[in-house]
Amino acid sequence: MAPLQRGRKVADRADQTPAQFLMREMALSEQNVERRKRIVGLDAQDLVHIASIKDLVCSRVEEHTRIFFDYVAALDEGRPLFADHALMERARQLEKDRLIATAQGEYGTAYVEQRLELAMLYSKAGLPLRVFLAAFHHVIMSIGATIMKQFERTPLEGFQVFMSLKKVAFFDIGIGVDVIVFERERVIRRQQEAIRELSTPVLQIREKLLLLPIIGVIDSHRARLITEGLLKSIRANRAKVVVMDVTGVATIDSMVANHLIQTVTAAKLMGASVIVTGLSSDVAQSLVSLGIDLGKLDTVGDLQGGIEEAELLLGYRVVSDSARVRRHQSLSPEAE
Amino acid sequence: MSVPILKQGDVLIASIQVALSDRELVELRDQLADRVGRLRARGVIIDVTELDVLDSFAARMLRGIAYTAKLRGAKTVVAGIQPEVALAMVQLGLSLDGIATALDLEEGLVLLRGGSDERVPRD
Repeated sequence: MAPLQRGRKVADRADQTPAQFLMREMALSEQNVERRKRIVGLDAQDLVHIASIKDLVCSRVEEHTRIFFDYVAALDEGRPLFADHALMERARQLEKDRLIATAQGEYGTAYVEQRLELAMLYSKAGLPLRVFLAAFHHVIMSIGATIMKQFERTPLEGFQVFMSLKKVAFFDIGIGVDVIVFERERVIRRQQEAIRELSTPVLQIREKLLLLPIIGVIDSHRARLITEGLLKSIRANRAKVVVMDVTGVATIDSMVANHLIQTVTAAKLMGASVIVTGLSSDVAQSLVSLGIDLGKLDTVGDLQGGIEEAELLLGYRVVSDSARVRRHQSLSPEAE
Repeated sequence: MSVPILKQGDVLIASIQVALSDRELVELRDQLADRVGRLRARGVIIDVTELDVLDSFAARMLRGIAYTAKLRGAKTVVAGIQPEVALAMVQLGLSLDGIATALDLEEGLVLLRGGSDERVPRD
């Protein structure tokens, strides 16, 4: 989904506000907003209730906005918001708009867009969600007190009106929480992409011998990329032996083990044998206790051992030329 | 159309050029089984370089050929499986257990001529 959308994103960015853009990304369509209303149980009766207090709420917008920001100002956590004057003014205006909008009884996409703009502003200012929620609740309490005063003689009706308002409040909170969750997930997605883009190189270290060092987390997507890259290299380099080093893979669970086995099997189909190296003792023990059978794999303790084994398979014989070493050593002090 | 089977020394080479129907695969197996005995071949190479699909039936037939040939005294090598095909086979859970594989025809011949034979299953 991500690569497909990327093209669209760039094209749309020009004529969209950030809030509209976020709305599209979060798939907050009209149907979705309707569904959200149904989830909090907002029905026609509630709209009637809210219409009855519209003037009451609107007349006290200034007061309630002040209550909200006074509450935030009283808390240490609220300080970042007040540090930026322009931001603060914008927040004050939006908060005012929001209270008016809440009383209008129109909770469509335009309303949601306004919610998002405010939520983005607070997250940009670094206002913690818990502070926002507390201040928001404080405002609701204060509005509730006003409503109860209005319905002094019919408290039951007043309570019902207040509960209708509360549904809208929870509708708002639902959106706010989703924005935050979405932003977090976006960070996670970006990091996952970064990990994926840390390429997994396939290196030729001798004729017909490839080295495949794997570092980081293996998920099914990356495993596929690794396998594809390896198979292509096997063909391009006419490799017969591959040393796959997993020293940099922190944990190997059954899924990762399965991916490894698949890679090895695929390489075998292309006529190359794979030696897996670098399974640490912790990993080996956990594989054994998980009951994962890697018996099909050819494993060697460390990378050095794996390369030596591969050289053996290919018929290489590495010998140390001691005379040459001595000559080199005797030469080097002179060079300095 | 049937697959041409060439004789190169004591090795039989069957080069599959187009996707084969199930019936043609069975035919190939029977022909190879027959020729291995008749021509006293010591090795069989099935070149699948041109294939972009290897399904479960084809994998089963290849195994069938390999086992039949072995019973008649010849070693079978499947050569030239493409990277995409290998990946697809692994994901479908198809395996060629017990069959030697080689990168291409040349490597297959080296394998049969007793070059390095690590990948020939020991049994």
